[in-house]
Amino acid sequence: MATNTLSTERKFNWGGGKSPFSVSYGKLMMWLFLLSDAFTFSSLLIAYGFIRYSFQSPIHNLVVKPFDHLSHDFVQEMVEKTKYFVQDHWPSPELVFNHFPFVHGIHLPLFFVSLMTFILILSSVTMVLAVEAGHRNAKSEVSKYMLMTIIGGAMFLGCQAWEWSTFIGEGARLYGNPYGPRSFAALFFIVTGFHGFHVFSGVVLNVIAYINVLKGTYEKRGHYEMVEKVGLYWHFVDLVWVFVFTFFYLI
Amino acid sequence: MEHIEHLEHTETPKDMKSQIWKTFWILLAFTVVDIVIYFILLSNHSMWKNWLFILLGVVKAYFIVGVFMHMKFERKTLMYSIIVPMIFVVFFVTLMIIEGDYTNLLRWFK
Repeated sequence: MATNTLSTERKFNWGGGKSPFSVSYGKLMMWLFLLSDAFTFSSLLIAYGFIRYSFQSPIHNLVVKPFDHLSHDFVQEMVEKTKYFVQDHWPSPELVFNHFPFVHGIHLPLFFVSLMTFILILSSVTMVLAVEAGHRNAKSEVSKYMLMTIIGGAMFLGCQAWEWSTFIGEGARLYGNPYGPRSFAALFFIVTGFHGFHVFSGVVLNVIAYINVLKGTYEKRGHYEMVEKVGLYWHFVDLVWVFVFTFFYLI
Repeated sequence: MEHIEHLEHTETPKDMKSQIWKTFWILLAFTVVDIVIYFILLSNHSMWKNWLFILLGVVKAYFIVGVFMHMKFERKTLMYSIIVPMIFVVFFVTLMIIEGDYTNLLRWFK
């Protein structure tokens, strides 16, 4: 009788007594949460795609080239000289996002956002290195890489704060903006804000896990699975940025 | 937390570190390609350019989910139960792009 039950268990993954997906419940639940979160972000981005597609394509920029010098009031210059920002056409992202900290009056299209992307990818790499070190139970390495991840996340948040304040400084609001279609800035604030909130909560989770690594909580537990779970969330944030970057700055 | 010990360990390649850095360079290269294409095709407003960017995004997503999130080395059942529901997103994208096209037409005739 006993041997019979054993053979059934071996046959079926779902027979009970073992994890059918071969991951712990925490990791599985993190995956399911990320799936639902992916749906949330998808609906936001699809809303963006719908509104973006219901407007005319951006007007091609024939005048301003990268590294060109611009006047102090860049938006005004664009509106007067080139008539790029009009109501029926979606604004060309390279003409809107062309600022860089400490550099004034030079047209640097998409330079800053590329830097932000680079920072986020790099912090994702340090996170996965922390997870990899966790598999070897190397406490000092885990804490080193987690600290680097936290710094990367904080840098990204700082960049986003700067971008937002520049954008708001030019007159962008939730209810309107000087670049053309009213929904442009509203969508930008809502989607990058929602993503930024995810980065922020990711940094908070990372800090908590980092403190626990330093305290030796996971060392006592015998495994660094919590770092893996936080890592899954962090990579998801990076993944979402790939699409936010694609839709807001490239398309 | 006891039961974690009983889990059969999903396979992790020995050279995980080099694979991580390889993935980093791939992601970086694709991002650079994105930006280069953006500036080369600045005056082009055809739909296939947008699909090209989306395709590049999906390729980057493959590397992030596969290597960074370890999905490549998990059980196939877990992989499919997370990836397959994304079909709904594809469906929704198609739906709303068609809808956006009609709204564009309505604006034109306004």
